Amino acid sequence: MRTLAALASFCLLALAPPVRAADDVGERLAACAACHGAHGEGVEGAEYVPHLAGKPAGYLFEQLAGFRDGLRVNAPMTWLVQFADDAWLREIAAHYAALPPRAHASDRGREQLTPDRRDRAERLVREGDPARALPACSACHGADLAGLEPGIPATVGLPADYVVAQFGHWRNGSRRAREPDCMREVARLLTPEEIRAVATWLSQQPNAQAARPAPAGDFTPPLACGALMEAPR
Amino acid sequence: MSLRGFVLAVALLLSALLLGAFVIACVLFARQGGFEPYRIPRGDRVVAADAATLARGEYLARIGDCAACHTTRGGAPFAGGRAFATGIGTVYSSNITPDPEHGIGDWSADEFAHVMRNGVSRRGPLYPVFPYAHFAEVDDADLDAIFAYLRAQPASATLPPPNRLDPPADSRRALIAWRMLHYDRPDPAARIDPRDRGRYLVEGLGHCAMCHSARGERGSLAPAGHFAGGVIPGIGWYAPPLDHVQLERYSETELADYLRNGTSVHGDAYGPMAEVVYASLRALTADDALAMARYLKRVEPSPLRAPPGVVSGNDAGSRGAAVYARACAECHGDDGEGKPGAYPPLRASVSATAPEPLNAVRMVLYGGMPPTTGGNPRPHSMPPFVQRLDAGDIAAVVNHMRRRWGGRESNLTAQDIEAMHGIVVD
Repeated sequence: MRTLAALASFCLLALAPPVRAADDVGERLAACAACHGAHGEGVEGAEYVPHLAGKPAGYLFEQLAGFRDGLRVNAPMTWLVQFADDAWLREIAAHYAALPPRAHASDRGREQLTPDRRDRAERLVREGDPARALPACSACHGADLAGLEPGIPATVGLPADYVVAQFGHWRNGSRRAREPDCMREVARLLTPEEIRAVATWLSQQPNAQAARPAPAGDFTPPLACGALMEAPR
Repeated sequence: MSLRGFVLAVALLLSALLLGAFVIACVLFARQGGFEPYRIPRGDRVVAADAATLARGEYLARIGDCAACHTTRGGAPFAGGRAFATGIGTVYSSNITPDPEHGIGDWSADEFAHVMRNGVSRRGPLYPVFPYAHFAEVDDADLDAIFAYLRAQPASATLPPPNRLDPPADSRRALIAWRMLHYDRPDPAARIDPRDRGRYLVEGLGHCAMCHSARGERGSLAPAGHFAGGVIPGIGWYAPPLDHVQLERYSETELADYLRNGTSVHGDAYGPMAEVVYASLRALTADDALAMARYLKRVEPSPLRAPPGVVSGNDAGSRGAAVYARACAECHGDDGEGKPGAYPPLRASVSATAPEPLNAVRMVLYGGMPPTTGGNPRPHSMPPFVQRLDAGDIAAVVNHMRRRWGGRESNLTAQDIEAMHGIVVD
């Protein structure tokens, strides 16, 4: 009887689809790991490069496809993904989305914000500026700034230089997204001084609970956003 | 000699020289096709556009890789505007969508076939970045199918930017002179038989020789340099020779699979070849891929081909060997043998054996990812080392790798590596 059970379970195992080793995708992505870290956690000293781990898969896919299709401009990224089809980019995106978010902040106190600038930055992040119809960062990226599925990324703890550079890209049209491209509008409303302050403040916030993006529909951002819409097929 | 006699003699000599020059010009003009290429047939011949023809046209347009050159990154397919850097300036591809004003919407099938085969459109001679010498080999029915397919695509009213060329190349008249010097119009009566499938695809639609040949003066492709390999103008990559010596390590089946999959036990497609596989060759039928492989493996080496290097041994203990052991050996193996199915071998690879170190340096600097294909849907990538190794280490490791497994003395310095920084993506 025991032999029969063993035989039956062996047959079941043989019928089951082969289980992929956990690092199977990761070992194919040595090119990504060079700048984004072996587990998408970022690389110490590579402060222009964002960490990827735990960001929404939909967001990561749109960025990869954007580098391939010219919506985003970054030669090393385009170089690597330009001959990759959607299926492979989705798998890469899902791989990084499933990894644990990074808990520590990028900037551990190198750049000092005066109390005045810190207050101003935090107010913009938490409240925005109703006088300019400028929404708060947290209204779309979540109260914990950990993002919202399927298309809004975490901003907590991102490198300040990276965030400043992205605002530059939005303002000069070298970073685009599916319309309505809400970040283009936000970038136009902020002054360079505010961008620097907000980016520095964000870079100093840890994601101590390693919070993941809020589930889709968990809250409703105030702006219509292409990143939350179904991709046209 | 009297003064009169002298003047007469000079006049006679000058007349003879002028006559000689005129005769030579006539011969050269006749060689590039005479007046015929400049007589553009308009007509109103239309082609069948049934589903079978459109499907065949789509396949042929894919093998001809029309979209790769006639589309910008993220732009409307076939709307043109992609930049081609040449020795004489930048040429932009044309709009070949059915837009009547900016595209080919009011062309007849005869006009299309004429342009494809002669490289002269109603706007004048085309720059030879357009491979008309190869498309001249494509047979009538196939050209008609491609035309039917292009005419069935969405029209785009996009006007590509004007070419930016240095004088005198900016004049279309200079192109007639170029044709007289460098273009020998293929004899229409001696077109490749489409049933000679491998040759027909490689030498015709596939236009492989545009990259894999040695270029002569003014970017010309002389017959002696056919498939001799060479540096691809404008993008800084070396395309290896295509002949039975170069391809000896591939079996016919391996080569056919490489064309379709962009990967093999001997190496992966990187750089411009990755684009060719992704945009074109991965669509090949198994039969067509095998026919191309069989033909390529029968090509006799060109007299202009660089002789293979002679591997003279290891330089253990060198700086390059130390960098290799530290940064490369884990994937490519202690003896450059690679790991089948994951990491390509370096031993006998094009990066190691090519007379130019360009490909090896570009791969080490910026890494790469082979194209996704049916046979390799989840490719292994090569990491960039530009941020991890300094220029001196990169020079040393490339010198080491090429000496050890390619028999090539590269003698690269840190300054050489720094001069090669920069990614060309357009």
